[in-house]
Formats: sequence, structure tokens, C-alpha cells
Amino acid sequence: MKKAITAFIAVVILALIGLGYHSAAQGPKHELNPKETIFEHLGDAYGWEVPFNHHAHIPLPVIVKGQDGWHCFMSSRIADGATCEGFCISRSESYHGKVVQMLPDGSEYRPLDFSITKNVLGIFIAAVVVILLVMAMKRWYARNGLKAPRGAKGLLELIVEFVYGDTIRPILGKHAPRYAPYLLTVFFFILTMNLLGLIVIFPGGANLTGNIAVTMVLAVLTFLITAFSGTREYWKETFWPDVPMALKCPVPMMQIIEVLGMFTKPLALMIRLFANMMSGHMVVLVLVLLIFIFTNLFGVAVGAGTAIFSVAFTLFMLLLDTLVSFIQAYVFTILSTIFISMALVEPHHEAE
Amino acid sequence: MELFTPEFGLVFWMFIAFGCLYFILAKYAWPFIIKSMEERAELIDKGVAYAQEAKSQLDNARAEADKVIAEARHQQAEILREAAKMRNQMVENAKGEAAAEAKKVSETALASIEHARKESEKQLRQEVGEIALQIAEKILRQDVSNDQAQRDLVDRYLNEVQTKN
Repeated sequence: MKKAITAFIAVVILALIGLGYHSAAQGPKHELNPKETIFEHLGDAYGWEVPFNHHAHIPLPVIVKGQDGWHCFMSSRIADGATCEGFCISRSESYHGKVVQMLPDGSEYRPLDFSITKNVLGIFIAAVVVILLVMAMKRWYARNGLKAPRGAKGLLELIVEFVYGDTIRPILGKHAPRYAPYLLTVFFFILTMNLLGLIVIFPGGANLTGNIAVTMVLAVLTFLITAFSGTREYWKETFWPDVPMALKCPVPMMQIIEVLGMFTKPLALMIRLFANMMSGHMVVLVLVLLIFIFTNLFGVAVGAGTAIFSVAFTLFMLLLDTLVSFIQAYVFTILSTIFISMALVEPHHEAE
Repeated sequence: MELFTPEFGLVFWMFIAFGCLYFILAKYAWPFIIKSMEERAELIDKGVAYAQEAKSQLDNARAEADKVIAEARHQQAEILREAAKMRNQMVENAKGEAAAEAKKVSETALASIEHARKESEKQLRQEVGEIALQIAEKILRQDVSNDQAQRDLVDRYLNEVQTKN
């Protein structure tokens, strides 16, 4: 019975998809451009799609400093190629999809852009979610003392215990309480952004951690903390390591390698998180787009058949991405912890 | 390639958002949560250690109680044995005393009987002497009763009679 209902629902959904596409195809011909669609979904946007309606957008504020000073207006006023206060969304190669100021001579000027874009709002939502979750947990302890948390707070505590008790504390030792707030905040923020990115409709759906600006900020913060908490021993090992003189004196080979290492570590953090999350989103987008590509090429029937496989694979990919969300948040945190612990090195040559 | 070029506005807002998030959580939440969790872990560890100690103490207490009970039983048996011994001894003593008393009483009785017999013998002899003298007087029509020599004679005859008997 259950199976029959499931099968029936699946058939209805597939038929609706087919019919919807068919009726859409009857109207003005809409050219399918997979590459543009994918990059549009992966990238940032002024405005956020209304759930289940690709054409309507939730307007978001655009804040720009053009050549004639500050401007602030809602993104709905520059939608569909409209121009507002001399600003419009560029269609040119160099500033594609960004707000530009049209200069009198016809050229485009890219203003200083502080717009609350889709990704910025996504970041704010993620931050609020993290604050609510963590504060709920804190309130539990404040109210119930040492009683074990129940329900979702128990899960949160499990994660905190996993990240702090099993990772940060063993690695950092006595320094753990000083760096734990940063590392735990990073973990929960990344995790929340990753998971929100997997929800396809409004509060989620923004490709946050798959955006290099977001991961760059986090990596730079880790780099700064590492650099500022470096001990005398750490800097000595960087600029005058304990190696044969030939390797460091006339030509500062080791110094070059060590300084390069200082920058490659956060760079690796940045690229790893970005690439993992972005590729996850991209695979899901490509799988879904396959339905429309095949429908375009071979007709509705083939498209519906592809839909079964695409949906199955998409489901699998989303589950995998859920796992990857946890793993990447954890990897970012544990690597940051290790980099900080490497900077906190104590002299260990005295015993010899 | 726009994916690989960080957008300045996004970097700015991300930095602001993360900064706010960090300062709120680092000030109000994380230290408190970590402290609470560590306190609870410590409490649970202590509780387990306490329970184990209590259990071992309980086991010890049981063994100790068994030991005390065994000792008490032992003492009880000893006391009973001692009491029995004492009772026997008391009975023995009482018996001995009673026998001694009885012997004393019977000896006294014998002595008094002997005494009475001697008294009565003496009296009888006196009376018999008197009677004999009276008889003799009657025979002799003479009052010889106050004659010492007659008396001695009678005594002598009586002694003879007595020894003959």
C-alpha cells in the first residue's frame, strides 16, 4: 500500500514536471543555457528567488558608492535590465551580473559595492541561527545547572563535546580555553552555512561556503590568530630553523620555505572548503539540469525518464553533501586548531 | 572566473557578521558552556568514583558484619558453656554443703542421744539404788538410807550387776 502511494506520487510529480515543461515550451522560446544557469545559482545575486517561482525575487538593498557618492535602493528597481540612479546590472564580460554605474561616455564604472546581496543576507541568517542555537544551549545550562540537556540541545552538546573535548582540548592543551571560542564559532558558523546552502528554498540555498570571499575571511582570521599567537620559538623556527648552516645562510632557502608555508596553510584552508562546497552544489545543479537538457534534445518522455535517475542521484548527492558539510566544517576547525597549536610551540631543545 | 575572485562587499559583510557572531558567543556563550560541560563531566566522574567506593565499602561492611556475627556466635557459645560449668559447680557445691550440714546435724543428734542415754542411765542407776536401799531398809527395818557405806555397797553391787550384764 505504502509503495503504491509512493509510486503514484512519483508518477504525478513526473507528469506535472513534464506538463509544466511542455506548457512552458509552448510559450515564448526560452533558450536553455546550462552554463549560465549553473553559474547564476553558484554565484551571488541582488535579490533572492521567491520559493518555487524563478521569476519573482525578494528585493534586497543595494548600497553602492559611485563616482558621485553613495546610493542606496532596492534591487527590485534594477531588475530585468532597468536602470536606477544611473546604476544597472552589467551584461558586459568584465562585470557580468554586478551593479555598475553607466558613465556619460557609455563606459561602465564598477562602484564600491556594499550591497546586502543574497549571500550577505545568507551570512546574516546563518549568524542569527548560530546565535539562537548556542544561546539556547547556554540558557539550558544557566537554568538547569548541571542537568544533561534533552533533545536538540543534547545533539548540540554532543557536537560541542566532539569538537572541543575530542579535538581542541587534546591538541591545544592548556591553551584550549583561550582559542576554543574562536574555533567553536568557526565550526558552527561553517556547519550552519553549509547546511543552509543545501536547503533549496529561501532561508537557504545561497552558496555561502562555496563562495571564495567567505572562506577567505575565515582563512585570513585563522592566519592572523596563528601569526599573533606565535611564540618566540615559533618565529625562531621560521626565520632561523635548526638546520645545517648551508641551508639558511647565504641563500635563505629554509626561510623562504617556512614563510611560504605560513601562507599556504590558510590558503589551503580557503581553497579546500570553497572547492568542496562549490563542487557539491555544482554536481547537484548539473544533475538537475540534465533533465532539461535531455528534454530539450529528445523530448518530454526521455526527460521524464532522466528525471527518475537525476532525482535519485541528486538525493544521493544531497545526502553526501550533508556528510561533507559536517566533514568540511570539522576539517576547517581541526586544521585551524593544528595551525594555532604549531604557533604555540615551546622550546624543546633544552632537554638535549 | 568570477567564482574565484572574492567580492569586496561580501568580504566586508562576512567580516562584520563573523566579528559580531564571535564577540557575542565568545562573551556570553562559549566560556559558560565549556565550563558547565566540564563541571558536569567532573561531577559525573566524581559520582562514579563515589559510587564505586561506596560499593566497595558496602562489600567490606558486609564482610565485617559477617565477622562480627561469627564472633558473637563464638562468644555466645563460650558464655553458654561457662554458664553450664558454673551451674554444675554450684550444684556440686550445694550438694557438698548439704551433705556436710546433714552430717553435722546427725552428729549433734547422736551426741545429744548419747548424752540423754547417759543421763537416763545415771538417773536409772540412782533410782534403782534408791529402790534397792529402800528395799534393803525394809528388809533390815533399819534406816540405812543415809549411811554412806550402805550406799557405796549398793553402788558396788550395781556396778557388778552392770558389768555382768
